Amino acid sequence: MSSRTDSPKVRSAAWRISLWATLAFAFGTMIVFIFLHGFVAGDLQRRSDAWLSGEVEVLGDVAERTPKDALYGRVVGEVAELAAREVPDKQISTSNSDNSVFFLQTGGDGSLKLWVGAGSGDAFLKAIQASIITPDRPTDLRVPGFSVPFRVACIRIGDGSHIFLGLSERDELRVLNSLRLRFILLWLLIVLLGFGIVFLTTRRMLRHVREITEAASRIGHSDLNTRVPTTKRNDEVSQLAFTLNRMLDRIENSMHQLHTITDSLAHDLRSPLTAIRGKLEMSLSSATYGERVEPIVAAIDELDRLTDFLNKSLDVAEAKADALRLTRSAIDLNELLRVMIDLYEPSMSEKGLQVRLRSGSPLVIFADAALLHRMVANLLDNELKHLPPACTLTIELRNEVDVARLIFEDDGPGFDPEVLLHLFERRVKGRDSNGHGLGLTFVDAVARAHGGGVTASNRESSGARIAVTLPLAAE
Amino acid sequence: MRLLLVEDELDIQSFLKCSLEEAGYQVDVAADGKTAEQLAIEAAFDILIVDLGLPDIDGISLILRLRQLGVRAPVLILSARRSVDDRVRGLEQGGDDYLTKPFALAELLARLRNLLKRSAPAGSEATRLHVLDLELDLLRREATRAGQLLQLTPQEFVLLEYLCRNTGRVVTRSMILDKVWGMRIQPDTNVVDVHIYRLRGKVDGKGQQPLIRTLRGVGYVLKDR
Repeated sequence: MSSRTDSPKVRSAAWRISLWATLAFAFGTMIVFIFLHGFVAGDLQRRSDAWLSGEVEVLGDVAERTPKDALYGRVVGEVAELAAREVPDKQISTSNSDNSVFFLQTGGDGSLKLWVGAGSGDAFLKAIQASIITPDRPTDLRVPGFSVPFRVACIRIGDGSHIFLGLSERDELRVLNSLRLRFILLWLLIVLLGFGIVFLTTRRMLRHVREITEAASRIGHSDLNTRVPTTKRNDEVSQLAFTLNRMLDRIENSMHQLHTITDSLAHDLRSPLTAIRGKLEMSLSSATYGERVEPIVAAIDELDRLTDFLNKSLDVAEAKADALRLTRSAIDLNELLRVMIDLYEPSMSEKGLQVRLRSGSPLVIFADAALLHRMVANLLDNELKHLPPACTLTIELRNEVDVARLIFEDDGPGFDPEVLLHLFERRVKGRDSNGHGLGLTFVDAVARAHGGGVTASNRESSGARIAVTLPLAAE
Repeated sequence: MRLLLVEDELDIQSFLKCSLEEAGYQVDVAADGKTAEQLAIEAAFDILIVDLGLPDIDGISLILRLRQLGVRAPVLILSARRSVDDRVRGLEQGGDDYLTKPFALAELLARLRNLLKRSAPAGSEATRLHVLDLELDLLRREATRAGQLLQLTPQEFVLLEYLCRNTGRVVTRSMILDKVWGMRIQPDTNVVDVHIYRLRGKVDGKGQQPLIRTLRGVGYVLKDR
């Protein structure tokens, strides 16, 4: 379980959130625009259709009333040209080009009778004949040679001829195009701006979360005073921080209670032990050497073992509750091992045991020196007590990426399989062990208090293997 | 040497008073901080023993108060508490040394001697130590017995030097571990005994008067008589 925060992951969360939010926003605004666009286009169509219908009726009226003489073409043509100048939404730039409006009259036989517009009316006549244009309502007409379709209204007059009035949809399309272009630009701008704002806000919020995570992971065994950072904003994140801090208050409180209990227990037991030991020592010094001495010496030994048991029990109790108090300093594990082996080597060789240290360079960790001394002493005591003569103990110190690994390997009989399963539990000891069964539990406790751990196993060949890991940097 | 013992547990107080008087100290006792303060103002003490768990005042606060009142004598703190930070705090806040209960009398006496030595003006440091026919050259790190050079490892020399510096006084196993190996541990095994046994084998040859003696249940002593 790693409590370390991974900053790229947190950033990707900000990315993810802002990406989805922006997508939703962009999609939503796009739908709204499509709806508006449809509405505007429909309205423009309606307005031009209304104009066309009105004008074609006027033209039809004029055409019907004008006598069919030589002046007919001129009269109707001028009326048609006048009408063309009143085109709705007409832009100045289009006033010079003549193909925005056309007027066309066909005779009863369908031939071109009158044409007002750019070029010859043949192409238009063909296009009109190819499509069905009803007099009721204006229809779209595509004319070859023109990229933009025309809106054409039609009326039938008394002499059986048809009058067609066409209006290019160019202006209408221009309005819609300009509307679309402006929208797309604004839309892009807003979406980008929205993305930026959402991203920055999310990142700021997540940064606060990350700060909380980092602070929470820093709060270790020895440091329960620190609290996670809070802000004045009363949002969910600061609620989380407040809740965490309240929880830490409670943990600190119960930790404090545990310390009070173990301290007073230690005090209440140690005071009588001190008095007993002192009195025994006094009677020892006044006793003449002889048979009276032996029981007193034995009693003092027992008392010292009891004291040691008391200390270890309380340490283990605190460590099991993750409440072991550490006074950390920089310690060279290599040097510590060398000194400890130097201390134990005579006892080992006295028993016919060999000790080898496999370790090269200094390996500095930030840990509690007194606890580490006691931990290694426990491991060495353990080997010294349980290894049969003529065995070899190999102690290896490895520097692995961010942990120091301390390996005790021997070629003795190994652990009893039954014991192996519960090796680090309190009061578990080998059948013929005369210890109080706290040794390895204490080792486990110290390793865990430093953020490391212990594993024990039997080697494939023969013998036991205990590996202790300790983080190089303090948590 | 005049000593003020501040301890509220009467059992411990009485045996400490006895043992300290036997060791040659003139002992005044106080069972609480108030009495201790009065006594410390009235008379000048050479050294103080203060228990941390007093009924009326915290031991550390008492020491700070006494320092304010101008008491310069070194203090040995007795603590039945467990936490190391108390000890460190004790050391930093003006107490000169500490000892956790229960302790061996020999260790208490040794620490008192050390404190007195530290507070006394430093004399010229000896470069040679003599105990009967045993001689230690502290500069060349060599030891001779009756003129014969002893083949000692560096560690054995440090151990012998420590014993010599405490000639005639008992040193316990935990004192040896603390001073020679620099660690406060309590091994379940006889690691220190084996070191002493080996050292004795080299120092006390056949036919020579044995110097290193074992006091069962207490520790070791280098005897010059």
